[in-house]
Amino acid sequence: MTDALAAASTTTFDGPRVRVQRRTTSSIVALILSVVVLVAVASMPLWASQGLIRDIVRLCCYIAIAQMWNMLAGYAGIVSVGQQAFVGVAAYMMFIIAQLWGVDPFVAVVLAMIAPALLAIPTYGLLHRLDGPYFAIGTWVIAEVMRLATSNFGYVNAGAGMSLRVMTGYSATERAVGISLLAALMLLVTVGGSYWLLRSRYGLALIAMRDNPIAAASQGVNVSRLRFLIWVAAAVGTGLAGAIYFMAQLRITPPSAYDPNWANIAIFIVMVGGLGSLEGVIIGALIYFFADRWFGQYGATYLVVLGLLTLFMALFARGGIWGLICKVVDAPWFPTRRTLVEERQ
Amino acid sequence: MSSTLLSTQGLVARYGDFQALYGIDFEISEGEVVALIGANGAGKSTLLKSIMGLLRVAPEMVRLDGRPVGGSKPNRMVSDGVAIVPEGRRLFTGMSVVDNLRVAIDHAAVPRGTAWTLDRVFELFPILREKQAVPVQSLSGGQQQMVAIGRALLNQPRLLLCDEISLGLAPKVVKEIYRAIPSISANGTAIILVEQDVGLARSASNRLYCMLEGRVSLTGRSQDISREVIGAAYFGGAHAVA
Repeated sequence: MTDALAAASTTTFDGPRVRVQRRTTSSIVALILSVVVLVAVASMPLWASQGLIRDIVRLCCYIAIAQMWNMLAGYAGIVSVGQQAFVGVAAYMMFIIAQLWGVDPFVAVVLAMIAPALLAIPTYGLLHRLDGPYFAIGTWVIAEVMRLATSNFGYVNAGAGMSLRVMTGYSATERAVGISLLAALMLLVTVGGSYWLLRSRYGLALIAMRDNPIAAASQGVNVSRLRFLIWVAAAVGTGLAGAIYFMAQLRITPPSAYDPNWANIAIFIVMVGGLGSLEGVIIGALIYFFADRWFGQYGATYLVVLGLLTLFMALFARGGIWGLICKVVDAPWFPTRRTLVEERQ
Repeated sequence: MSSTLLSTQGLVARYGDFQALYGIDFEISEGEVVALIGANGAGKSTLLKSIMGLLRVAPEMVRLDGRPVGGSKPNRMVSDGVAIVPEGRRLFTGMSVVDNLRVAIDHAAVPRGTAWTLDRVFELFPILREKQAVPVQSLSGGQQQMVAIGRALLNQPRLLLCDEISLGLAPKVVKEIYRAIPSISANGTAIILVEQDVGLARSASNRLYCMLEGRVSLTGRSQDISREVIGAAYFGGAHAVA
């Protein structure tokens, strides 16, 4: 893909004519596959059973939440272990708008996104002065506060939770169509949106910030504003996944909505798949999804193995599985790197 | 001499409870090269960080064009025409040489005088033209330093802060890098050079400030000050007794 620099480079270089290329053969294949996957997810009611749809929606939610965590930790350098705050608040908001205010649930999913955005702004104000581990603990505290507050809030039926009874107004097929379309939209917004952002004018600034925040700031990148924007965007993306997940579940309680496991899953997926890459998230989500299905029955042992695996990757393979793959073959699915190609004259 | 570009008045800076600077009065005019010398821990880098906004100070302590700018965020300082070559270079290691430079191009100030372009940076450091597509971490230390300087220049600075650009480099490479200084200031850019090598600092600058334990211990025209006087100010002759 040629972009703005190509025009600039032909005028500023006296040397060989060059153009900037970012598209690779592997990226074209990946783009076609992505479109196929999106269409497949959107058209699930045509080919999948109810059970399979539920599983795929869950996988899509994992990918979305992990990708949002990846933007936070991998690019903005923010480590949050309290992303469940946004899962819960968005899902509860959706239940309130749909069940208590009588708005169509599929519209409510979109309207509910105001809740994580509104929660993200003041929490960032509270947290942004904290560094590293203190920031992480702060996010956890906020998630716990949200869980306790919700558990004592009579309007949403407190600790007993709510059911999405308005969904009975739709037939099973209609629900499947709606959920499938929402899941496809969520993938497009979270993964597609991240990819678009990384290739935009802000992309280089974001990657610069990932590599060295102090140098990026010294070079004119507004690090604090970018961090804030990513924090809010990640809150909304995480919230969208939460709202869709609990819409598929039809039932919500404070312990399930604000389950710390949401953050654990995101951390596992990103650390094992590959921090700071879009490909890694997809690989990690698939690994988690199948590990959960095949080994979930082993209970505590299974969790210990997952934890050890995350620890092992963090210590010995910082780039995750995608980083290991990259060492062997250079075939990015979502390339953000620019290559200068000399043109024959 | 032309008008004052940047000045500090009674600049005080601290890292938590530790006070690093005790009332620094400093000024630099447009197009001037000023060297900042002193032993380790004298506060040279701290002074640059305070000017750049990497360390919070009170607004009226730093003035740019007479306006109080102390404690502004670094990105504001860049758009006001101040750029830094940070200590230890701090390049973006995942990226190629050109991408490193592009980060600066994307966030540059409005150029005054002749604008710096990729081509002019490559003229200044020809080796970078050859290496433009190479990831920066595979360059030599000197070449990395050239990228760091080029990156700062592409911010289109009126004032360039150079933090120990000779640190850890071979003498031949240092000479090569210092050859670029006159062509940078020929553009009207003022330069603050933080330097440990006193001889180098003296020959490359118009004026110099010597710092000792967070205070300015000596200042004057570089050519007028003898090595002995610098030596006393550098190590603190009076302090040595006490």
